[in-house]
Amino acid sequence: MISAEVLLAGGAMAVLAVALSYVLGWANRTFHVEVDPRVEAATQALPGANCGGCGYVGCAEYAEAVVVKGEQVTKCTVGGASVAAALARLMGVEVKESWPYRAVVHCGATSAQRLKQREYRGEQSCAAANMISGVQGCTYGCLGFGDCVTACRYGAIAVRDGLAVVDYERCTGCGACARACPRNIITMVPFKAERVLVVTCSNKDTGKDVTAVCTVGCIGCGVCARLNDLLQIDSGLARIDYDRYDPATADFAAVLSKCPRESLVWVGKPTPKDLAAVADKELPSRVEADFKTTVDQTEWRG
Amino acid sequence: MEYVSSLVLIAVSAAFINNFVLYYSVGICPYLGVSRRVDMAFGMGCAVTFVISIAACLSWALTVFVLRPGAPLATWVWHWLRPDSAGVVDLSILNYLVYIFVIASSVQFVEMYLRKFFPPLYKSFGIYLPLITTNCAILFACLEIMKHVSGVPAAQLWDLGRALALAAFGGVGFTIAIVLMAGMREDLDLCDVPQALRGPGIALIVAGILAMAFMGFTGVDRNLAALLR
Amino acid sequence: MSQTQTPANASAADRGPTAAERFINGILPENPTYRQMLGMCPTLAITNGMRSAMTMAAAVLFVLVCANAMISLIRGLLKPHLRILVFTLTIAAFVTIVDRLLAAYMYDMSKQLGPYVPLIIVNCIIISRCEVCAAKQSLPIAIADAVGQSLGFALALASIATIREILGAGTWFGLRVLPAAWPAWVIMVLPPGAFITLGLLMGSVNWFLARRQEARG
Repeated sequence: MISAEVLLAGGAMAVLAVALSYVLGWANRTFHVEVDPRVEAATQALPGANCGGCGYVGCAEYAEAVVVKGEQVTKCTVGGASVAAALARLMGVEVKESWPYRAVVHCGATSAQRLKQREYRGEQSCAAANMISGVQGCTYGCLGFGDCVTACRYGAIAVRDGLAVVDYERCTGCGACARACPRNIITMVPFKAERVLVVTCSNKDTGKDVTAVCTVGCIGCGVCARLNDLLQIDSGLARIDYDRYDPATADFAAVLSKCPRESLVWVGKPTPKDLAAVADKELPSRVEADFKTTVDQTEWRG
Repeated sequence: MEYVSSLVLIAVSAAFINNFVLYYSVGICPYLGVSRRVDMAFGMGCAVTFVISIAACLSWALTVFVLRPGAPLATWVWHWLRPDSAGVVDLSILNYLVYIFVIASSVQFVEMYLRKFFPPLYKSFGIYLPLITTNCAILFACLEIMKHVSGVPAAQLWDLGRALALAAFGGVGFTIAIVLMAGMREDLDLCDVPQALRGPGIALIVAGILAMAFMGFTGVDRNLAALLR
Repeated sequence: MSQTQTPANASAADRGPTAAERFINGILPENPTYRQMLGMCPTLAITNGMRSAMTMAAAVLFVLVCANAMISLIRGLLKPHLRILVFTLTIAAFVTIVDRLLAAYMYDMSKQLGPYVPLIIVNCIIISRCEVCAAKQSLPIAIADAVGQSLGFALALASIATIREILGAGTWFGLRVLPAAWPAWVIMVLPPGAFITLGLLMGSVNWFLARRQEARG
């Protein structure tokens, strides 16, 4: 027979278990919160990068906005079309065709092509250099100190020869670089094809004022706008209308041949021809700093 | 007055001199895991303090009235079942089971309560609550209280006030340690740490130095006791 | 449970590591302290002497093996949302047994270990092993996994305790190892010494593994 002490111990545990179960059961019913199960499913469908590209603080916030407030399902730039489709299926809405947004740097001048550059020994950041005058001739274009590189979490932008260049195989369209650029020359462009035509200049001056500071910037001559109705001249600078841009019907051969400067450029992922051209070469490994330090940016050289 | 001074001594001892994390080395897993940012660390600390207080109250009550040798409720039930038996009723073998049960249930209860009545608070530190169930610090507080409640003569039995002071200020000490650690780790992110030591390695070394700093509090309780007398 | 059942014609390799593999894995490749970063609390608290460290390792071995065995036997009955509670209660029962055994047969050691024996209940290693392995695998595999992980844990504790005891007291297992003229680094047997020793040891393990990774190419 079980001894009485064991019975008492077991009984005490049983009573405790029953009491706590009652309390928790009551709490479960009383403190019940109505949560739409779709919020959980929406959070699962999102990539979970919490990058803020959609405009919300995290993926969970955006999921809640989509389910509860009926936010657009196409805002996730990192997830792209597949995530938009998944969210649309979840909400039972139809998704209009959406394209991935990618960062485009509207400047095409490397250090060699920029004129009137002066020796700069201040803080090596674009934000600091932007605040003083005379670092380089063009007051609109890329400074090349790499604030965008610091902002990018995906390693998709780098400064080469003093110009910021986007790696479209890594760019997720989160927009961090666009927000970091103090001169606002990085914009998010919808990539309706793997390669799109962009205007790689932000200089709003015309004619001689541009040629005095840069060998490749847009002078606002208007030849492209006359030849193709997707292009307009807007305060001395060519602009492409991406809403009406249709890669299937757009024909830019004429404008590309007539542009006197090198301001109209195809950007995007490398074409098979580009890849074949370097197929036999050994690509150097990316040299990346393996530490972050605040000292470098304030180092006084000289 | 003597009661209040004993409470003050217990509180100071639990928060600074015998800090749960830096002296007793309990609660290390969340300490290393959550201490990367100051706001997250503070949220975790608040959640731990809250749950520790509730769990300590419940476990004190259960230990004093049911589990300790000669506990009133257990003795009453026993004499009702077996009126002619002698000896002391001792259910303290069930201590650990009961404590862990109480902790798990109170965490569950707090989570449900927060979710219903304080949604913004739930959003900010609700995710830490399931982590707290297996947090050594809570069980450790219950065990420390047990030391002063189970198997001690009736004159030295700790009352609820002392138990709560130990638990709550133990939680406060945990919060202080974790927030200090988070502040230091935020700065460490900008430093040139050798590759091998990055992450838990350097965090532990910095925690060790912080523990050394907290060793400076030794003897404060003796002088405080003299002051309060 | 359905997602862990494999079709009858799956080869043995598909069913995950075998018992022997799990045993070997637990010692170094998936060492609970250095690789999984679990079970830090006892690692820091009781490693100021080899004797207490090894007693703790033996206690964890007993609890882990028994808990894994029990959970593996009742794995068919576990409900998903109650399983953590069931694990914890099972572990608490076995820890009570170990605690009483220690208090009965090794009273001084029990007093020295103090509250850290009951803290085995919330030791992440045991709960993690129950969750990851015992709840899904059969009895022999669960036991092999438990023994392997415990040996790994014992190895980790021994490494830290050796350093702390030799530098902090000049002894090892209570036997004098360094000459009496050695100025004992008392800080090593105090909590700060534990943190710093573990931090440096983790750094060495990471460095060693990185070197081996580089050598492999």
